[in-house]
Parts: sequence; structure tokens; C-alpha cells
Amino acid sequence: MNAMRKHFHLWLALAFVVAMPLTLRSGSLASEVLIFGLAAMGCNLLLGYTGLLSFGQGIFFGLGSYTIALTLTRWPLPMPLALAAAVGMGALGAALVGWIAIRQRGTYFVMLTLAFAQMFYFLAYSFPGLTGGDNGLLDIPRPSIAVAGHTLWPLVSPWQYYGFVAVVFLVTFWFLQKASNSIFGRTLLAVRDNEERAGAIGYNLKLLKLQAFVISGAVTGLAGALHAMMTGIAPLSSAEYHTSEMILVMTVIGGTGNLLASLLGSAFYVLLGDWLSTLWPRWLLLLGVVLIIVSLGMQRGLWGLGQTLWSLVRRKQPAAAAPPSVGEKA
Amino acid sequence: MSNPILLEAVGVVKRYDKFAALAGVDLKVRAHTVHSVIGPNGAGKTTLFHMLTGTKTVSGGRIVFDGHDVTHEPDHRRVQRGMARSFQVTSLFLTLPVRENLRLAAQGTAPSHALNCWHAPVGARAKADAVASVLARLGLERHADTPAGNLSHGQQRRLEVGMALAARPKAIFLDEPTSGMGIDDLDEMKRLIQGLKDEHTVVLIEHNMNIVMDISDTVTVMQLGKVLAEGLPHEIRSDDRVRSAYLGNMITGGKA
Repeated sequence: MNAMRKHFHLWLALAFVVAMPLTLRSGSLASEVLIFGLAAMGCNLLLGYTGLLSFGQGIFFGLGSYTIALTLTRWPLPMPLALAAAVGMGALGAALVGWIAIRQRGTYFVMLTLAFAQMFYFLAYSFPGLTGGDNGLLDIPRPSIAVAGHTLWPLVSPWQYYGFVAVVFLVTFWFLQKASNSIFGRTLLAVRDNEERAGAIGYNLKLLKLQAFVISGAVTGLAGALHAMMTGIAPLSSAEYHTSEMILVMTVIGGTGNLLASLLGSAFYVLLGDWLSTLWPRWLLLLGVVLIIVSLGMQRGLWGLGQTLWSLVRRKQPAAAAPPSVGEKA
Repeated sequence: MSNPILLEAVGVVKRYDKFAALAGVDLKVRAHTVHSVIGPNGAGKTTLFHMLTGTKTVSGGRIVFDGHDVTHEPDHRRVQRGMARSFQVTSLFLTLPVRENLRLAAQGTAPSHALNCWHAPVGARAKADAVASVLARLGLERHADTPAGNLSHGQQRRLEVGMALAARPKAIFLDEPTSGMGIDDLDEMKRLIQGLKDEHTVVLIEHNMNIVMDISDTVTVMQLGKVLAEGLPHEIRSDDRVRSAYLGNMITGGKA
């Protein structure tokens, strides 16, 4: 049963990845959904599985962006290695931030991650030699995947790049799914439920949280790198506090404690934002309303809403003559 | 009683600012006995438990467990040495099923395995034997898949003891296991604790004197952060200092 559900989620993710090119016109938009889906999943691992509200996700995203920019332009590495370097930097940054922040719990933990996010922004701003300062790093190439001079997979067009992002996304999703079902993931749930008890039955909470941070940072760094390759720039704004906030908002809107929910949150945020921004430049106001609704009465997020509707529909189905349910209306 | 000493506390002090919750407590617990700690509210019983199990740090004194000085070891290290505890206020993983609660508790003795982010806890990693034997002992087999938060109070109190049992510890520290329990559940809990002595050593905080006097091998009476008296149950019952500290009636009242 458990194994079936595990694969079921992977199939759902695959279906989602395949459906986007069929329904969306812009390959960049579709890539963005997956990229922020990765970042939100990284955030979810901390928030939903471990109970850690981190405002530092932008640091790891920014680190990924800067690292891939530097390793593709200034110190040219083959693209897969550059991507791996970005993942590594994200993990390293998370290890440092996590190592200090997990010394505190609750409000002070949140404040520490916030402080680190602000510090990182000003650090990036203060070293224009490395980060390009205000301008960010420009002209990041998007090398095709080639073996011995033969181009296997050109990444020139947005949809070609989407294909690459999709593969990376699915592999990462599969790994995170495996990790969240692993002994580690299950122990994180215990930490989320009751830290005092988890410590009392022998778990080293700091070590568990640190590992969660490192995995989260690695995935977020990966997202940052993919984003930089997509846009061709690593802007200062990706190191900004706003990026942390955006990733958090996606995670909360999607729903915590389930990885697919993060993809849903990212899709909602990116696609709705794209659509609304053409209608009304102040669309973020509406997003605020959505966030208020989720926080007030829909704490399981869009995913939870979907689950509720699904169970309603399934219950109503045998009695086809029954009046239309809430689920059918929605 | 010539069982070897498993746990020894020497001059344990705990201060909160200027207030001394524990003012130098000595305690010797012999292996495979039930050693009860009693005393009026505020005597420092739970604080002593926190010191012994490492939930909080001592301000002074020394704690030796199974030949190791554990005074400065955090709680999760002491679990590896064979300590396990239950809490006065039920402390479970409320959203997780009973079985998962116990699996996590059993897993806690090998906490490095908890960093394994590749393998799911299935097959040999499921700790199925340990979990099944505790489930049977607690009489909670039928509720194995119920979230701990949905259990009745009595069941939760039993699971609370089970959380300590699952790790197969040398010493089990039970902090008021019967608190808030109904009459029907009391006997069951008493039998449960009594049955632990063969495989474990039990250190018990308990207000129910019937239980204490029936199942204890040794009773330590605390008052105002100090040990007031120690002895066999019948000695404690007839001790004048204890009588006056306890206003007499609590000790002699009831069936005992």
C-alpha cells in the first residue's frame, strides 16, 4: 500500500510534467513552475517534515545562482559539474546557516534565519567583484549536453530547456520522495510532532535538523542554478529576502507535509502570477488574500483542499442522483 | 537485597536562579528492583528525574549509571547507555500511529540509523519484534494503527510507558504513570509496572500510595529538594518523619 502510494505520487508528478507542454504556451513559464517547485519542496522538507520555518531559503537559491554563473563563465566547468557545484554550495551554505540557527527553537530560530538572509544579501551587494553587485552576473550560457563533441541534447529553445529541467526535477522528486519515506524522513515527522519526546527516546535533534537543512539547501541551490541558466542572469534579487518569502509562500499555499503539494503551490503562484500580472500590476495584493484564506481556514493548503474535494466526490459517486456536492461545484 | 547498584546519584543539586529545587540528593538504585520516589508536590521528584535522565542539566553533583559517569551527557546519549523515561504529562507523537510511536522509540537506541535517508523502515529495519512485544504487553494490539492522539487517556498513559519499554532499556524512569487514570485502568498499570522488574530496573514517581507500597522494593521520600527518608515500604509507612511530612493520612489511608 505504502509502496504503491509512493509510486503513485511519482506518476502524478510525471503526468504533471507531461501535461504542462500540452497546456502552456511558454516553455520558460513551464520551466519556472518546475524550478520553483524544486525550491518549494526543499522548503517543505524543513517546514512540513521537520517543523522548521526558514526564511533563509533565498540564501541557498542565490548561492546556486551565483555558483553556476561563476562556474560557467569565469572558471568554465562542464555544465553537469557546474550544476553539481551549485548543489554543493547550496548544501554548504545550508550547513553553515543550519548549524547556527538550530541552536534555537521557535521565534529565535526564525529570527536567526531571517538575519542570515539579510546578511547574505548585503554580503552579495558588497562584493561586486564576485557577484556583480547591483547588476548581478550576466550572460550566463546554456551549454547543450554533449559527449565528446556530439550534441546529445541541445538546450537552446525554451522547450528544449524545459525537457532538461523536467528530467532533473523528476530525478530530484524521486529522491526526495524516497528520503521522506526513509527512516530519516519518518524520524523528521517525529521531531515535528514532539521534539522533547524525540530527544528523550534517543535522537540527536541537532544532527537530524542539520541533515534536513543540508538536503533542503542542496535542492534549493539546484533550483537557483537552473533558474540562472534559464534567464541567463544571476541577479542580486535572487539573493534578496523576497526570494525566501516567495518560496515560503508557495510552500504554504501548496500545503506542507507532502512534496507534490509544493509543486502545486509553485504552479499556482507562478501561473496565477503570470496571468494576473498581465491584467493588473498590483496582483500581489490578491496573493495576499489567498494567503490569508489559507492561513485562516485551509491550513493543509491547496493539496488539502484537493484531498477534501476528492473524498467528497468519491463519497457522492455511488449516489449519482444526489444533489450536486461542493466538490462538483468547485 | 544484594542486587548490584545500577544507578548512583551523589549530591545532585539543581538551582533555578537562587531557588534550589534539589539541594544535594543522594540516591542508589539497585538493578532489577522497583525504586519509588515519593514526596509532597514541589519536593523535587520530577526535577530529580530530569537530572537522572538528562532532560535538564545539573548544577552540581555526580550521576553514575552502569559504571559510567553520565553527569554531563545529554538525554539522547543516556538512552544509548540504557535509560528510558516516561513523562508526567503524556508526551507522544500524536499524529503518528501507535505502532510508529513504538518503532521510533525502539529505533532510538541506534540513532545514527535515523540519518539513513535511503531505506524505508521496512523488513528488518521495522523493529517489528520489539514493537510487537511491547504492543502485546500494553494490550494495545488492536490500536496499533490508530494515531496516538485518538487513544483514550488510559491508553495514552500505557503507551507513554511503552515508549520507554520499546528501547529495551536497563532502567526505566516512570514519572507518575497513573496520573489522571480511572480506577479501572489503575490495576492494569500496576500489573504492567510490576512485570517490568524481571528485565528492567524501574525508578518510579507515584502519588498513588497503594501502588507504591504494593510494588516497591525501596521507597525514597523527598521533601524540599532533599531525601527525607529511605527504606522498605513498611519501614517508610511507619516512619514518624514521613508521617508528619505527609500529614499521615496519605500514607496509611486507603487499602494500604
